[in-house]
Amino acid sequence: MAESLLVALLVLVPLAGAGAVLAARRRSPGTVAALALAPTAAALVLGTAAAAVQPTTTWRWGGQLEVGLAVEGLARVMVVLVPAVALPVLAYAGGNRRDDPGLPRLLALLVAFVGAMLALVAAADLLTLLVAWELVGACSWALIGHDWRDARNPPAALQAFLTTRVGDLGLFAAAGITVVAAGSARYEALGALTGWQASAVGAGLLLAAAAKSAQLPFSPWLFSAMAGPTPVSALLHSATMVAAGAYLLARAVPELAGAGWLSSAVVGLGLATAVAGGIVATVQDDLKRVLAASTSAQYGLVLIAVGAGSVAAAGAHLVGHAALKALLFLAGGIAVDAAGGGRLGTMRLGRALPLPAVTFAVGALALAAVPPLGAAWSKEAVLAAAVHHGAWAGTGVVVAGLLTAGYAGRLALLAYGPGRTTERPHPPPRSEKVAVIALAGATVMLGVAWLPGAGDLVEGLTGGRLFESTPGELAVSVTTVAAGLIAVAVLDRRRRLLALGLPATVRAGAAAWLGLPALARRSVVDPTLALAQALAAADDRVIDAGVRTAARVAAGCSRALSWWGERGVDGVVRGTSATAVRLATASRRGDERGVDGAVEALARGTGTAGRHSRRLQTGLAHQYYVLVALGLLAALVVAAVGS
Amino acid sequence: MLTAAIFVPVAGAIILLLVPRLSERATRRLSLGLAAVPLVLLVAAWARFDGGSGFDLVESVPWIPSLGVAYTVGVDGVSLPLAAMSALLFVVALAYPADRRGRPRQYAAAFLFLEGASLGVFLALDLFLFYVFFDVSLVGMYFLIAVWGHGDAQRSALKFFLYTLAGSLAMLLAILGLYLSSEPRTFDMAELIRQQPLGANGLRSVLVFLGFAVGLGIKTPIVPFHTWLPPAHVDAPAPASTILAGVLLKMGTYGFVRIVLSMMPDAFQRFSTVVGVVAVVSIVYGALVALAQTDLKRMIAYSSVNHMGYVMLGLAAAAAASSGDADARSLALSGATLEMVAHGLITGALFLLAGSVWARGETYDMDSFGGLAARAPAMTGAATLAAFASLGLPGLAGFVAEFQIFAGTFAVQPVLAAVGLLGIVLTAAFFLRMLQRVFLGPLPERWVSWPDLGRTEVLALAPLLALTVAIGVAPAWVLDVIETTASALVGP
Repeated sequence: MAESLLVALLVLVPLAGAGAVLAARRRSPGTVAALALAPTAAALVLGTAAAAVQPTTTWRWGGQLEVGLAVEGLARVMVVLVPAVALPVLAYAGGNRRDDPGLPRLLALLVAFVGAMLALVAAADLLTLLVAWELVGACSWALIGHDWRDARNPPAALQAFLTTRVGDLGLFAAAGITVVAAGSARYEALGALTGWQASAVGAGLLLAAAAKSAQLPFSPWLFSAMAGPTPVSALLHSATMVAAGAYLLARAVPELAGAGWLSSAVVGLGLATAVAGGIVATVQDDLKRVLAASTSAQYGLVLIAVGAGSVAAAGAHLVGHAALKALLFLAGGIAVDAAGGGRLGTMRLGRALPLPAVTFAVGALALAAVPPLGAAWSKEAVLAAAVHHGAWAGTGVVVAGLLTAGYAGRLALLAYGPGRTTERPHPPPRSEKVAVIALAGATVMLGVAWLPGAGDLVEGLTGGRLFESTPGELAVSVTTVAAGLIAVAVLDRRRRLLALGLPATVRAGAAAWLGLPALARRSVVDPTLALAQALAAADDRVIDAGVRTAARVAAGCSRALSWWGERGVDGVVRGTSATAVRLATASRRGDERGVDGAVEALARGTGTAGRHSRRLQTGLAHQYYVLVALGLLAALVVAAVGS
Repeated sequence: MLTAAIFVPVAGAIILLLVPRLSERATRRLSLGLAAVPLVLLVAAWARFDGGSGFDLVESVPWIPSLGVAYTVGVDGVSLPLAAMSALLFVVALAYPADRRGRPRQYAAAFLFLEGASLGVFLALDLFLFYVFFDVSLVGMYFLIAVWGHGDAQRSALKFFLYTLAGSLAMLLAILGLYLSSEPRTFDMAELIRQQPLGANGLRSVLVFLGFAVGLGIKTPIVPFHTWLPPAHVDAPAPASTILAGVLLKMGTYGFVRIVLSMMPDAFQRFSTVVGVVAVVSIVYGALVALAQTDLKRMIAYSSVNHMGYVMLGLAAAAAASSGDADARSLALSGATLEMVAHGLITGALFLLAGSVWARGETYDMDSFGGLAARAPAMTGAATLAAFASLGLPGLAGFVAEFQIFAGTFAVQPVLAAVGLLGIVLTAAFFLRMLQRVFLGPLPERWVSWPDLGRTEVLALAPLLALTVAIGVAPAWVLDVIETTASALVGP
């Protein structure tokens, strides 16, 4: 009972808190921010307790459906991570957006976003997961479109939502198939699946995860997501939303034994995205876009670990990345605000903003995987898992590591390198400073992972395993990181760091996700819209034309009937045809145009007959009963033929 | 009790027509009070519903004994939620502000008459009675569109009337075919369900099935019998659109459950793949055509084609062959039934909102709007909630229904389910585009004095949206009622 309450509160407190923030929307920004922080802090406490107790609860939805929450496996890490990252982000948002009249809505949605994400990680089954999954998506739509008065933002939110919803179909199908095939949608039930059902579920989960975690070919939606305010990006890229896909695979792939091909596919997808994302991030000249492409690439590494069978390495990298990416977005946001835009060519704000510069450097070094920072340890763990899976995977991780070191170093220098400007722009508010210091502190603290015995702790917390890393692997890995950083320094010395010595067209092409958005537009979006237009036109002209033809034929029939009736075949028919004559007269007046004519005739008739609808009623009821009579007649004929 | 639910509104309609010189205010109060009677009665019926198999709360009087026709009404787990939802829709639709064109008495009378007829369709347990109510409801709707509509209202109303009447005639033939096959001959539904007079094969069985499929398919409507729907919706006054989409369309799919699935399951099973394909075509086609619309009401109308496609897909799965997957088929059927209820609530709310837009802007052209959120936060919030509900967001009613439909269908016809899922992305696309075009972005100069929702509008929308959330969060109270009948219907 107490257990059920604990895990239910973990989800309900943030959701109720979001309501409270909205209810208090007329209070001062400070009060609103405090109201947003309180439920998140409570969720952190509840999450920590839940991680220790590992509570479960289920709730019957009716019929055969059941939803449930359970803090198990990797969920134990996530229920702490999500509110822990959200706290500094919310604090930052309260300061960064204190002049925005939409602040209460922003904070309420962020808190609800946290609640939905907590439900997602605590979901005990795929149906509950799907519910939370789509709620996270809907929150992201509202958050990305937060500044909705600007005509550019709602379409960006739409694109992000639709891209991820394509993936949601996979989860929808996977949950549906599992419910009926295994009798339950719980993670454990996945093991019971075999044959096409196992493969379909595997494919559905992979599709869902690829879309949510911005893997190929869905990666570009993260660029659209940049339309949202900085805190939204910080939260969306770190512990919520994008993390969901990798988390889902980490929970489901080990269970889904019936789809043997899945683990290699996950590794392959992660590897392709890690390398492609690295290239896209390297040539980018917009700060937030470097970070966005880097998010895809880093989650690619997490996927590699999952596919290679090391949920522990995946969980560790997810945590390390969450801290450093939230930090980079928030500290980077200060630079963007100061420079009045995200163009990297106009920044180098190191002297102007020393504190954000230092914290940003911490994040960038962690991203580059420089020991002894925590993210470097988890990257080694990913590499060990990849090598275990196959030499090709190991090689890929090393290449991705080289690119990561390169773009992280380049970004740090271009954004916060020692530049000429020393004039302090607009000092960031205290809450922003507190937020970046806290996250930088956390990023440094995660270095404890290098201490002996930490590996066992990580395995215990995530419920996964780690693979032994050889000294040779470590040496190769550290050397490539160093090589990446040295290359950055050399290019900087030669003043080629921004352009990288590449032609502008090549850079622009690669920076736009290697042309993927254009390809998606040409191959999916435009054809769909064109098809929709064509069908809409056909619907009006062709299909309805069939109806109009039928009406014309009916009018012709009634004319024929009336002719027949005038000849007076028998009394019953005479009664029928007398009205049919009226029908025919009406349609003859309108003539060739069938129903249209009949309507106009009727309308004209009505007009002259008077303004009273009761008159209209009499006329119609007549026609109506005639048709009923005709129908009965036809029915009797059919019945006679039939019997 | 159920008889009172049908005839109190009808009697009210007659009274309203007979009493001249009733003030507008008195008319409003009287008609709302009368319209609420069935709702109260059906809630009471819900409380008394015993959840056993077969029909409950049956009331029966012989009518034409020589033909086996009786006045019989009653409820089961499928009809009760539909009837209750319909009664609620009539109350809020009648309460909603709309231009009465100086004829408030006649307007209310048409509504009450239509309410009685519609409830009669869902409560009738005699095929003949069912047919009478089914057709009489057309008359009420015809007047609502023709007299209180706008645009080319008379033409749209006539097209609606003649087209659906043609469908009724096809159904009448099928009803007679079923009647003539029964032994002893009867129109009694419970008896026909027991008799199962027609097998899967034979010309008569096929013809009767076709008659029902075409007749009910036009009403539903399924592609390609849907072209009467958009003009009827566009030209109808918003409260009438709410009833048309929320109640009248359900008569088609309800007929499939009540008659085809119950009385001739073998024939339905034989054609279940065909019906499933048509349903998937409706889903995808309806969504694609909706995506291309610039007219708000036409878009919602085509979204109905899409949603009724989900219902038909669930029914096709429920009817589909094979033993052993009774659980899956029952899931699909209960999803289809819940989708009918959910669509009534959600699309009802959407059409009412469209009416509010028309009342303020006199146009449905989405591109002429934009940025209304700045002036009308309540309207934006309601529209956002309704749009997300319609696109199947979890936590709202549509999701529970759609999940059940697709889960059930995946077990029986996985390919159809997979194709049908595309509808879920497309609905998201056109609903979010609608929100974007109407409510977001910069506010055009001409709408700077756009008023937000008034008190009546909020009060009318609130129960629809609240129920949408309630069913979405905790559907057990509805699903358990539906399930009593759904599991029995597909039973082994």
